[in-house]
Amino acid sequence: MQLAINIAVLAAIYALIACGYVLIYRVSRVLNLAHGELMMLSAYLLLTTASLFSKNPLIAIAAAIFLSLCVGVLVYLFLMRRMTGEMVLAAVLTTVALGVLLRGLVVLVWSAQQQNPAQALGWVNYSIPVFGGRISAAGAALIITTALVYAGLFLFLRFSRYGIRMRAAGQNPLLAAQRGISLHAIYALAWGLSTLTGALAGILISLDSGLDSTMVLIGLKAFPAALVGGLDSLVGALIGSLIIAAAEVLMIYYVDALLSDVVPFLVLILMLVVRPWGLFGTREELDRV
Amino acid sequence: MSSREPRASGYFRSSYDQGLRLIETRMQWTALMLFLAALGTFPFIATSFQLDLACQVFLAAIGSIALMLLTGYAGQVSLGHAGLIAAGAFTAGILFKEFGAAFWITIPAAAVVGALIGLIFGLPSLRLRGLYLAVSTLALHFIVVYLGGEYETKRGFSTGIMIDAPRIGDLLIRDRKIWYFVLLAFAAVSLLISLNLLRSRTGRAWAAIRSHETIAEALGIGVPAHKLLAFVISSSMTAVAGALFAYYRGFVSVEAFSLFLSIQYVAMIIIGGMGSLLGAILGAIFVTLLPYMIEYAVGFLPNARSYAGMLAAFNYAAFGIVMILFLVFEPQGLVGIWRRVQNYFLLWPFKQKPLGGSRK
Amino acid sequence: MSALLRVEKLEVVYGRAITAIQGITLEARKGEIVAVLGTNGAGKSTTLRAISGFLGLDDARVTEGAIHFKGKNLSNRPPYLITKLGIVLVPERDKVFPSLSVVENLSASVSGTGADRKRLEEMAFNFFPKLAELRGRTAGLLSGGERQMLALASAIVCGPELLLVDELSLGLAPVVVDDLAQRLVEIRNTLGITILLVEQNAAVALSIADRGYVLENGRVVLDGDAARLRNHPDIQEFYLGGAGERRSYRDVKQYRRSRRWYG
Repeated sequence: MQLAINIAVLAAIYALIACGYVLIYRVSRVLNLAHGELMMLSAYLLLTTASLFSKNPLIAIAAAIFLSLCVGVLVYLFLMRRMTGEMVLAAVLTTVALGVLLRGLVVLVWSAQQQNPAQALGWVNYSIPVFGGRISAAGAALIITTALVYAGLFLFLRFSRYGIRMRAAGQNPLLAAQRGISLHAIYALAWGLSTLTGALAGILISLDSGLDSTMVLIGLKAFPAALVGGLDSLVGALIGSLIIAAAEVLMIYYVDALLSDVVPFLVLILMLVVRPWGLFGTREELDRV
Repeated sequence: MSSREPRASGYFRSSYDQGLRLIETRMQWTALMLFLAALGTFPFIATSFQLDLACQVFLAAIGSIALMLLTGYAGQVSLGHAGLIAAGAFTAGILFKEFGAAFWITIPAAAVVGALIGLIFGLPSLRLRGLYLAVSTLALHFIVVYLGGEYETKRGFSTGIMIDAPRIGDLLIRDRKIWYFVLLAFAAVSLLISLNLLRSRTGRAWAAIRSHETIAEALGIGVPAHKLLAFVISSSMTAVAGALFAYYRGFVSVEAFSLFLSIQYVAMIIIGGMGSLLGAILGAIFVTLLPYMIEYAVGFLPNARSYAGMLAAFNYAAFGIVMILFLVFEPQGLVGIWRRVQNYFLLWPFKQKPLGGSRK
Repeated sequence: MSALLRVEKLEVVYGRAITAIQGITLEARKGEIVAVLGTNGAGKSTTLRAISGFLGLDDARVTEGAIHFKGKNLSNRPPYLITKLGIVLVPERDKVFPSLSVVENLSASVSGTGADRKRLEEMAFNFFPKLAELRGRTAGLLSGGERQMLALASAIVCGPELLLVDELSLGLAPVVVDDLAQRLVEIRNTLGITILLVEQNAAVALSIADRGYVLENGRVVLDGDAARLRNHPDIQEFYLGGAGERRSYRDVKQYRRSRRWYG
């Protein structure tokens, strides 16, 4: 039973991160390889807001999340906007460079030591017994948050006008512009939402298990989850996360703990060989001559 | 690579063979000789620290030339270059540790292992392109590094594998000066191999694949074979660089081959300038020297002492900024700047090149 | 009446080398249907792209002249702002979002909010009652004619004052084309929208247009009332397939050949 709970928590983590990859990819076909770093940045921002609003942990969290959203929008406006119209690969490499920059900045500002935001907020991470296993409070919060985020995103993309426009812009940017949709606004919105969900993930993970630069690796491991499910499908991201999390937890349990960092990538390669566009993704068009 | 266009000095080609020559004019001969002479005298005037920098540049140059062949010429993106360097380094380390193999065995062995891994790295390229290919090489990087780490822990070398200085015949390669010439020779050979590949049928096939795969196939180019060839050659060269790196350091450990190293190699070819071997070399120089320049610059900051522990972070930040600046403002890289300067002087007092002769 | 849209001595150059349009002047007054005719490569699509702000994508730019809409110069405006000004383009192909449903396609269009928008959406369904039946259908599964309807409907929801229609008839059966052409007239009559119709099919275009322009090699060679154009001997011969023996065009031979090919 404990195994199932571990899988569920890990899957929730991966899913919460993966939807950030999916949002940006779906709208602008850019793979944001700085997602892990942005997520880590949000967790560090929480550290700062926690010291600012030490009386009021919830306000601290809300402030950190809001700041992260701003960071995402600013990243688009000042950096990625310049890369629209360039080759996709150049844009992806720009995100890689951004990631490297953020990694450096985080250490410069907050030092490389392991931090504990939960302590800064004065919270204790209780462990709750459920169904014959135990789950940490932050872990439970992760599962609930992921469920809420996915439900929210689903409703947003399905029924709200901006969500529909986001899907439209992702499908045919030219036509979207002809229909009066401002692509820059839509892309900025996508970046904002993506860093927002990333911030939720980063903050909850750091509340659960502390904070240092290894968080980047978690972000990177969530990427296979997004790709296995199909880079442009939210449902896919959810299922991909479950698959990756299950594979990882089971491998650690039955085979070797050292494998934990490779399993997602092994699954990724398997998927790329069999079905590169993922379980639920749309197949990329063949190029015309 | 020699210019594929007529010189501004009034040298004109009168046959197609001339277009294939690496060195066309006497001026180029003279320049090359002077350059070689400078390279030859450098170790006798340089300090030990400068020699170390030069050696690092040569090592990086082999790797970046290899990556340039793959990405800049054949158009196959790889984010797993560090994995290949690790593969080469571990081949040398394992052969030395387990079998006491000599330098002249481990280096070719690294080349062979590199070629095999290149084949594996290349297989996804038959189905994937662009982003997806980059991702698959990224995944392979993690797997290679994992295997290396597994070997280290299982054999009890958890801190890394120590390697003795190599020996060729009676010559022990330990002195920095000797290393300088050995690495220079390896770098020169990789450069020559690349130049020759690029001016031959293979190079043209790669160029065709890079511009459009389907059209290349329609022109009768064996696309899968040439893609795999690009991976095999590039990986093999990279693995040799990795093995040399292991010997030069006298030490192999997985920590050295993080994702950041892959990013650094990608940065070398971007900063240098895509599609140019000169760019690969310039990029290797720039990226290798950058940390030292930053260390020097940080020394000027007030309270320099207090930042000493944070040099790595400064490195990361500066590296990210430089990479972004090049991607956004100078996508042609250092070579682009170099060409503009060159053109400025060649064309002076005019500003524009005639339409037909403009470089892309 | 003053012109709603005025294109003045427009010159467009592709990639610094090819001059696709060499000084075109045309105008559209409020409530008019204006046809722009010409063969492939005459510069029709380029003109449309210049008006709707999409030249930059093909490495083309306006080198001379200007485009004025309601007295405002349109140069250097991004496409989505041009749409918001009231110029909406119905492109030649890829004119709907295939994975979105019909309703979602309509709601992707940007226009005013509240009652205004509701009115426009209702209007769109009134013009094309068939779309109301297909509300929930994914746009990718629609037939060519239905797609064209959806494209026109989505454009109407944007609330345009000037509707640019690129190749209404492309790939559609003659019956469907006639029907759509009648809808265009209806749309103009009810909403008072100006329509600029770019067409290969001169017969259809001239049957509904008030005025027309004929482009050739990037220049306007003929313009005037649709009725006069219809009866013009050159138009009769080269665009409407009538008989004639005139040789006033430089490329008559080529025309002849192409006419034979097209049957």
